[in-house]
Amino acid sequence: MVPYILSFLTFHPLVGTLLIALLPESRKAAFKWIALFFCACQIPVSGVIWYFFSANAPGFQMVEKLDWITFSLGRIGTVSIDYVLGVDGINLPLLLLTSVVMLIGVVSSWGIKKKEKAYFSLYLLLTTSITGCFVALDFFLFFLFFEFMLLPMYFLIGLWGGPRREYASIKFFLYTLVGSILILIVMIGLYISVVDPVDSQLTQTYVHTFDLRYMADFKNYLSNSILSPDGGVLIFGIPARAIAFWLLFIGFAIKLPIVPLHTWLPDAHVEAPTPVSVVLAGVLLKIGGYGLLRIAYPIFPDAAQEYVFVLALLGVVSIIYGGFNALAQNDLKKMIAYSSVSHMGFVVLGIASLTAEGINGAIYQMVSHGVLSAMLFLLVGVLYDRTHNRLIDSYRGLIGPMPFYTIITGIAFFASLGMPGFSGFVGELFSLMGGFQSQWLPTWVAALGTLGIILAAAYFLWTLQRMFLGKLWAKNKADLTQLTDLNLQEKLMLIPLAILTFLLGIFPHTLFSISDKAVENLLKLFP
Amino acid sequence: MPDICRKGLYPLMSSYLFFILLLPLIGFIGLFSFANKANKLAGWIGTIFTLIGLCVSIFVFMHSLHQSEVFEWEWLVLRQKSINLSILLNNQTIIMLLVVHFIALLVQVFSISYLHHEPHLWRYFAYLQLFVFSMLGIVVAGNLLLMYIFWELVGLSSYLLIGFWYQKPRAVWAAKKAFLLNRIGDAGFLIGILLLFFEANSTDFVSLSTGQLPHLNEGLMTAIGLFLFCGVMGKSAQFPLSAWLPDAMEGPTPVSALIHAATMVAAGIFLLGRIHFLLTPDALYVITIIGTITMVMGAYRAISQTDIKKMLAYSTVSQLGLMVMGMGVGAKEAALFHLLTHAFFKAGLFLCAGAVIHFLTPHDENHAQGIDPQDMRQMGGLYKYMPTTFRAYTLCAAALAGLPLFSGFLSKDAILIEAFHWGSQQGGVAFLVPMLGLFSAGLTAFYTMKQWKMVFLGEFKGDKHTISQTHEADILMKAPLVILASLSVFIWFSFNPLDAGDAWFFELFKTKPAEGSHLVIAVLSVLVAMLGLSMSYFDTLSPSKVGLIPSLSLGMEDVGNLIKSFLQRLKWLREHSHDSDKHLFLIAPLQKIAQWCYWLDQKIVDKIVDWVGYLTVILAHIVGRFDRMVVDGVVNGMAWTAGFVGNRTRSIQNGKAQSYLVAMLVGVLIIIFFVL
Repeated sequence: MVPYILSFLTFHPLVGTLLIALLPESRKAAFKWIALFFCACQIPVSGVIWYFFSANAPGFQMVEKLDWITFSLGRIGTVSIDYVLGVDGINLPLLLLTSVVMLIGVVSSWGIKKKEKAYFSLYLLLTTSITGCFVALDFFLFFLFFEFMLLPMYFLIGLWGGPRREYASIKFFLYTLVGSILILIVMIGLYISVVDPVDSQLTQTYVHTFDLRYMADFKNYLSNSILSPDGGVLIFGIPARAIAFWLLFIGFAIKLPIVPLHTWLPDAHVEAPTPVSVVLAGVLLKIGGYGLLRIAYPIFPDAAQEYVFVLALLGVVSIIYGGFNALAQNDLKKMIAYSSVSHMGFVVLGIASLTAEGINGAIYQMVSHGVLSAMLFLLVGVLYDRTHNRLIDSYRGLIGPMPFYTIITGIAFFASLGMPGFSGFVGELFSLMGGFQSQWLPTWVAALGTLGIILAAAYFLWTLQRMFLGKLWAKNKADLTQLTDLNLQEKLMLIPLAILTFLLGIFPHTLFSISDKAVENLLKLFP
Repeated sequence: MPDICRKGLYPLMSSYLFFILLLPLIGFIGLFSFANKANKLAGWIGTIFTLIGLCVSIFVFMHSLHQSEVFEWEWLVLRQKSINLSILLNNQTIIMLLVVHFIALLVQVFSISYLHHEPHLWRYFAYLQLFVFSMLGIVVAGNLLLMYIFWELVGLSSYLLIGFWYQKPRAVWAAKKAFLLNRIGDAGFLIGILLLFFEANSTDFVSLSTGQLPHLNEGLMTAIGLFLFCGVMGKSAQFPLSAWLPDAMEGPTPVSALIHAATMVAAGIFLLGRIHFLLTPDALYVITIIGTITMVMGAYRAISQTDIKKMLAYSTVSQLGLMVMGMGVGAKEAALFHLLTHAFFKAGLFLCAGAVIHFLTPHDENHAQGIDPQDMRQMGGLYKYMPTTFRAYTLCAAALAGLPLFSGFLSKDAILIEAFHWGSQQGGVAFLVPMLGLFSAGLTAFYTMKQWKMVFLGEFKGDKHTISQTHEADILMKAPLVILASLSVFIWFSFNPLDAGDAWFFELFKTKPAEGSHLVIAVLSVLVAMLGLSMSYFDTLSPSKVGLIPSLSLGMEDVGNLIKSFLQRLKWLREHSHDSDKHLFLIAPLQKIAQWCYWLDQKIVDKIVDWVGYLTVILAHIVGRFDRMVVDGVVNGMAWTAGFVGNRTRSIQNGKAQSYLVAMLVGVLIIIFFVL
């Protein structure tokens, strides 16, 4: 076991940021190499974490705990904010995903020609905050990373984006900020209600804590506090815990995103540069799902169980609504953005089902979608780089000049529409299976979810038919000369991802064996 | 790695099955990655892979006939509950292994010659290997989950093969249509599988059939059965998901022979054979009805076709309907038997059609304009030019028409006998089913004769120039035809040409067709077939008209027109339009909804967000103004008041003792006033 490996994983990209910031502008050629180096480091480090991770041990592993901020408030008690990191079966798959996607993101940033210094230092900053978000076990720390993600994202979209980048970045920022405020409210409520049992014992005072592990245990709640499980404080006649759950849920649902809180996503994607889209769809959305699994569900299992039907329904609505919207798009990137909404609906359905199949499937679906959406956005980027036009009806028969590109697109499309042998199938299958197995859900909810796989086939195959097959044609004749097949850099990004989705689809065991135990622990909260 | 548990007597056999499964997969990967360097060799490589597979399956056939073996392994363990996959080897598996390999082999040999000018031959044979892999997967799958996996892969390979000529917009469209209609069926299939898994905790054929099925409510079992049947409706082109099969003829003709006549479309029948024990009487009733509708509709539509392949495609739809109907009436073995015989003679017919098309396709490109080598109205008299094809076609067609001494007669008869049996048991309307079966047998004979006549008899009506240039196919194309034609004769299946009761096929399953008046029905169906044939032979109406029907449809014209105009409205369901994206299959209604959804998204959901934004800004301005006018105003006002009061009072404090005294006096007076 390597001490402080999680801190190392989280913070070493910051060294890169510092390095880039200190180098003079004249050394701009070095910036991307520095970024590449630090992102590439993530892979072996997270590999080591995976190696030392024991799938059968319960609870968190490699926990790092330091007292961070402590001060006494006299009679009221003590404030204690800890620096706690740890991994379990829920965040480890996402950590691995993050390290892969962030590396791919750097490679696809190779062509950035504007303000490289700012770009790459922000990118590394983003890496740190995303990773931190996944490993933090203290709510305060989590929130800090969660908020910190906004800053680089805002600038990455707002400075390097497309024509409507300012609108999109502000929309993204405000949306997420609203979510954060809701989360903040709940965080404060929880903080007032929960005490650290160990420290309280020691000091004989109430030591309030932000530690998520304590928050997930009903014994640590003060009996007359606002979010006490048995106190039953009502706000407008609704139990405070239910309200808190919904606030958290909305906060994370915005990130995920769930219909009707999704409209920032298509805009952000359309305006964001390719690497930022890759990171946004590949990793950032998963923080929403992760937040549900790490915070909302373990802390408020009672409320989650009570509203299971509504939650699952929201998931199914996202699946279908996102699918239909994807079908209506003429902008390839927007279509893929909406297909993300549809695919993340499966995550919600799986989580809401409260079954081992569903939640494991949801985690799997998040990883699978991370890989596939990264691939899809890269593929859009390939076309956009060449012609600066990604409208579906501007092209026909791209297979002629770009056969390899079409094969990879075909793989990505079929994998995304749930073809067995690729990862998308397993994620959707298990999320749906959870929906069917769930004792709290009527069968028709999950059955409705299968509509999503028909719609996915419709929009992906229709796009394949319209853009890639048939006789070569382009609306803008000048584009025809620009259409060259994939170059080495693009192959270096796309082929590993294609292999990854294939491997995940053939050996789903690898991921499920990581997440199974943690999900089992989570499910113990739901009798 | 997950544990592996073994059941059955000869566990070694399963490794042969894995080997059989692995072969075409290696073939696919190999051909797809390397064979673009050896385009000409690709066909032979594929053929050899399939030949090895055939040999191994013959070996399995010799060694484990009448043995049943399950090989089960853990796919995943979730919360200590394992989700298993398994493969199953029994007689049904073995028969299908042989059929798939055998026909795939012949089709590949045929294709080597048929497509020899094709530049992307390696891709074609790679896809064929992928198809063989996925089809064999369906055949050996021991539970529904594994079957579903291969089920989808079959859909993929069918998509790739139909769309093989991706430059043709119609082919691409047909491929998408096939995939989408299959996907609809598959979604239902998946629901059925997941429901069954939830209720019975297993989707394993053997453990379900050996009584591990808990006592489930009858209605639920019916629902599960019907959902599973959705998969059959997609793959086996049953009404209302049948429309993809005729369009799938856009693919290369050998593909139609292999996939859309003999194997893939048979997967649905095969599935029904696997899950027959699960189906409740109610579910079977529905299945019977769907099968009957498909059977009659297919046969009826086949009559009016002028495209040689499309007629065969509708015929396939009709024959699949017959098999499904057979499954519905409980004639499981007879339906599987028909699946077997149909696989041979229909593949034979398709390959004959391929030979004809090959013969009629002009070789020089500039001459090809305006010539449709598939249009039967442009054919005729071909018996003179291609005698081998003619003979092969005649034998296969006789089997399709259900003439005695041919294989089709035996199996069709076996189904009809059971259908009559079932009809008399159910009584009432149910008797319509066998009657319609007989009727569509007559229609089948009718269109078969019509095609035979149009293609081979009479005088050649097409472009003489083409004929003078070409010659009949070479040995690679002829050999498969001859083999398939010879397999259409009764002797391979039963020594009694009039009764399938003694056929070895039924002995495999240790059953006999239902007892009943065999001979009566046999004679009846011969008569019907003869009637159909002769009516067709003497029919002199123009070939595009439906010859048999005018006498029947008198007075039905209005109804017919009504139906026609209704069907016209559903044009998007059937037709491919070249001009625009408006009438693209199935996307049309979905796209409407999609546009509504997008409108909703843009105009409502997003507008709300924008308005919240605007309102916040407006509110901010109001607050800003309030801040300036009121809050700041109050502050300013106070300051002003203070200044004003100060100014006013400043004059009081003027340093003169008198004024202080006055002030004091006033103060004292006020105090006194208040105190008192």
